[in-house]
Amino acid sequence: MLLAVLIANSEGNILVERFNGVPAEERLHWRSFLVKLGADNLRGVKNEELLVANHKSVYIVYTVLGDVSLFVVGKDEYDELALAETIFVITSALKDVCGKPPTERLFLDKYGKICLCLDEIVWKGLLENTDKDRIKRLIRLKPPTDF
Amino acid sequence: MAQPLVKKDDDRDEDADYSPFLGIEKGAVLQEARVFHDPQLDARRCSQVITKLLYLLNQGETLTKVEATEVFFAVTKLFQSKDIGLRRMVYLMIKELSPCADEVIIVTSSLMKDMNSRTDLFRANAIRVLCRITDGTLLTQIERYLKQAIVDKNPVVASAALVSGIHLLQTNPEIVKRWSNEVQEAVQSRAALVQFHALALLHQIRQNDRLAVNKLVASLTKGTVRSPLAQCLLIRYISQVIKESGVNSQAGDRPFYDYLEGCLRHKAEVVIFEAARTITELSNVTTRELTPAITVLQLFLSSSKPVLRFAALRTLNKVAMTHPMAVTNCNIDMESLISDQNRSIATLAITTLLKTGNESSVDRLMKQITNFMSDIADEFKIVVVEAIRSLCLKFPLKYRSLMNFLSNILREEGGFEYKKAIVDSIVILIRDIPDAKESGLLHLCEFIEDCEFTYLSTQILHFLGNEGPKTSDPSKYIRYIYNRVILENATVRASAVSTLAKFGAMVDSLKPRIFVLLRRCVFDNDDEVRDRATLYLNTLGDGSVAETDKDVKEFLFGSLDIPLTNMETSLKNYMQDPTEEPFDINSVPREVKSQPLAEKRAAGKKPAALSTPAAAPTSAADAYERLLSSIPEFASFGKLFKSSTPVELTEAETEYSVNVVKHIYDSHVVFQYNCTNTIPEQLLENVTVIVDASDAEEFSEVGTKPLRSLPYDTPGQTFVAFEKPEGVPAVGKFSNVLRFTVKEVDPSTGEAEDDGVEDEYQLEDFEVVAADYILKVGVSNFKNAWESLGPDGERVDEYGLGPRESLAEAVSTVINLLGMQPCEGTEAVPSNSRSHTCLLSGIYIGNVKVLVRLSFGIDGAKEVAMKLAVRSEDENVSEAIHEIVASGMYKVQTILEEEDQKLKNLRKEMGKDAYEAVGTALMEGNWYSPRGRYPVLVLWNYKEQHSKKEFVT
Repeated sequence: MLLAVLIANSEGNILVERFNGVPAEERLHWRSFLVKLGADNLRGVKNEELLVANHKSVYIVYTVLGDVSLFVVGKDEYDELALAETIFVITSALKDVCGKPPTERLFLDKYGKICLCLDEIVWKGLLENTDKDRIKRLIRLKPPTDF
Repeated sequence: MAQPLVKKDDDRDEDADYSPFLGIEKGAVLQEARVFHDPQLDARRCSQVITKLLYLLNQGETLTKVEATEVFFAVTKLFQSKDIGLRRMVYLMIKELSPCADEVIIVTSSLMKDMNSRTDLFRANAIRVLCRITDGTLLTQIERYLKQAIVDKNPVVASAALVSGIHLLQTNPEIVKRWSNEVQEAVQSRAALVQFHALALLHQIRQNDRLAVNKLVASLTKGTVRSPLAQCLLIRYISQVIKESGVNSQAGDRPFYDYLEGCLRHKAEVVIFEAARTITELSNVTTRELTPAITVLQLFLSSSKPVLRFAALRTLNKVAMTHPMAVTNCNIDMESLISDQNRSIATLAITTLLKTGNESSVDRLMKQITNFMSDIADEFKIVVVEAIRSLCLKFPLKYRSLMNFLSNILREEGGFEYKKAIVDSIVILIRDIPDAKESGLLHLCEFIEDCEFTYLSTQILHFLGNEGPKTSDPSKYIRYIYNRVILENATVRASAVSTLAKFGAMVDSLKPRIFVLLRRCVFDNDDEVRDRATLYLNTLGDGSVAETDKDVKEFLFGSLDIPLTNMETSLKNYMQDPTEEPFDINSVPREVKSQPLAEKRAAGKKPAALSTPAAAPTSAADAYERLLSSIPEFASFGKLFKSSTPVELTEAETEYSVNVVKHIYDSHVVFQYNCTNTIPEQLLENVTVIVDASDAEEFSEVGTKPLRSLPYDTPGQTFVAFEKPEGVPAVGKFSNVLRFTVKEVDPSTGEAEDDGVEDEYQLEDFEVVAADYILKVGVSNFKNAWESLGPDGERVDEYGLGPRESLAEAVSTVINLLGMQPCEGTEAVPSNSRSHTCLLSGIYIGNVKVLVRLSFGIDGAKEVAMKLAVRSEDENVSEAIHEIVASGMYKVQTILEEEDQKLKNLRKEMGKDAYEAVGTALMEGNWYSPRGRYPVLVLWNYKEQHSKKEFVT
């Protein structure tokens, strides 16, 4: 299960937060845990360089892209490698939507599109689509070209 | 489609910080949402408003029920718009709002229409939305469409339906299970992701049907799997199939191993890793099977991708627990990872190295770790400290450098949890490695000189009070303790006063000087400190060099022998009725009313070092001893030698759950039956256990202590005591029946009826075995201890254990049989090894120290031979250990002893040797022909080839 996808700005403010199967009372805890993890480790990290951590049986893969930091959290079949796959899809979709690694402003400008992308990528905790070109077409309700 | 909500600026940098959502507010956005009702829909505007709503929801804002309903109804109007972008947003919005059942009806018709739309993407999205918001009844209506969608030629539609199926399986399994034909077809799809999703769903549908999973896996390994993700799933399912197909230890012909090995050469790293991990997790994996997997993991260690490094390291860390030798090849790569940027990786590298390292590499490793410790966070440091603690217990001879390391990091900055972990580790090391005691105590003393945590200071002072007086030079600790009285806060001062008093009580020569110090404490400005000082001055005697009373020592070192909950209730009751009489502590009941479940759970856990006061490893024993000595009937039995771990006498989840703890005294045994009543409608009274000891000839019952009442879910104990010959390790089997009076309880009022019915409940049998008479007590340096006992009390003999499942199984059987403490980690048998030496130590009843050296060997036919060397202070005890093994091993195999009266007589008449010879002959007869014993012819040189001595080293 993909437990969470979280996108924050460089100061640790949440821009997008999607949880699956995480009880409401634990979400705040996760949010602050992830933001702290990012603050501790993401300084000076290159775009899309992946970092990884685990907390009990839960894995976390995170990275920066432009001004925003991305975190994906998973457990069971979504181990660090599956999460790396997921975060790769998310970053490439983000770059596609924004045209480059986004500044915070650019990210917010494209907020609606980004929400749609995430909706195509993660469906209630399961990875659904992995191809950025297909995602690009899907969010405009265009059928994919590759079938 | 989402457009920027503010005008685009050409010069972005100027206001890059300015958020388009600045000052956004829920109320205002809800107002804006009225545009959804416009007869002429402005698609762009609507999209913008939805974006704002999404932003709010993603920020954790919630809509009230009324607001959500209003927005939901408004959004449904947007289905009228033909704008594609807006429609996509509407789908997302409905999912986010997840309306309640009575509202869903509004959109179902629109969505149903979309589901049959000619635009594929409408279909896909409509499916996802419908499945998200639907319930069982609606699902049956749309089931037909979903089944079609699963085999739709458009992969997006198929995937949407399949993923929906995975989710719906949780809520409506019976419906989804009907789709398996379609899903089966989708597994063959040429679209990679469809295959992935279909495989996941099909497996979930069939996961309880082992045969079907087997077939699925077999067919896919022969066919083509298109996406790496699907292949990962397949590998996981294979691992499950292998696990369930049982042990197939014949190397080389494990099912699917070739496939897994092939996956190690796949082009996708995910697949390679998954296969490597699966191989390492195979049960009884051989070195030959393991090698290719370890090789790819080693390559991953130097990968440029941190995720791969982490994953490989994590797997190797697990392998290190079972096959430390297999991982040693990777040590060099792992050592370079200690300086990895990513702290999770570095910590994992350290902890893995600590597991795989041998005694000689400890020093080098410690040096590297020292450099690394300063720049990691506390939570990682705690992991390292724990790893070092277990390393030290594994190599007690290395305690000096490890203890130094711990004391160094203790001096550095750190939070409470980290410091506590270090202190706990030092305390455990002091307790388990006697040589480390003095230096460890001094490190702790130095730590409390500058310790900011009151909790840790008081705990250390308490520990110091118990251990310090027993050292060779107790006076050197006094300075550190008295400094606390001068420098610290009241809580710490009070503990320091108690610690001083303990030194005074235990070390007679120090007493006058302690008195001087205690007298100074009488003028402290805190009343607790003053009170304690006065109390101790009065109890310790007159300050002269004289032995302190036993009672006083008891008072100082003993802990409160009354359950705190009982104390609390008694005090509350006392406070309720105002009375002139002083509170009498003897009026507090000593029976443990409710034995918290925590005790059961704690039994499996390692005792936490300081959190349980007094010496933690003996705390369970202490608690038992206190409990038993509070029962007058058993008070005369003397000192409790050993208490066994609880043995369950009932199956899990029966009406009454009972387990028994065997308490061994010199000439008595007491069985403590812990009973729990799990029926709310019953109250049990006068609960006793009727024990039939006809199979335990040397035991005779001397008394029972019934349990007066056993209400629902409140555990209670009843006891039965037996007499046995003094100092003799008598064994025997006991059968038990629980007898009680049962009374109906009205669940609404909780009151029991007056009349009860007598009833009985059959419990399982248990045995008192030889291991019950041996205490598990470890030694820090087995070699020294062995040599110090000398060869006089040594007895050596060889045993054939017959065919066993594995060497490890044979080793653990013998360890359990003897109930002794394995030393220096020798209880772990590397898999596939042909021989193994295991070292055990313990205290035999009568306080006789016993050391055992076991050498095992196994041959191709899995026959295990064992050489048993015992040394002890008393050669009779060495003899007794041999007897335990001799009778025990035969019993384990065929229960010869019990079933064969002739053999018993033989033993009585002719002694052990004759008994063993006949026993061996009978056993060998069994191995050759399981259907019945008869002599067989063997080749003349058979004996030479398989002589047991050959592999006994």
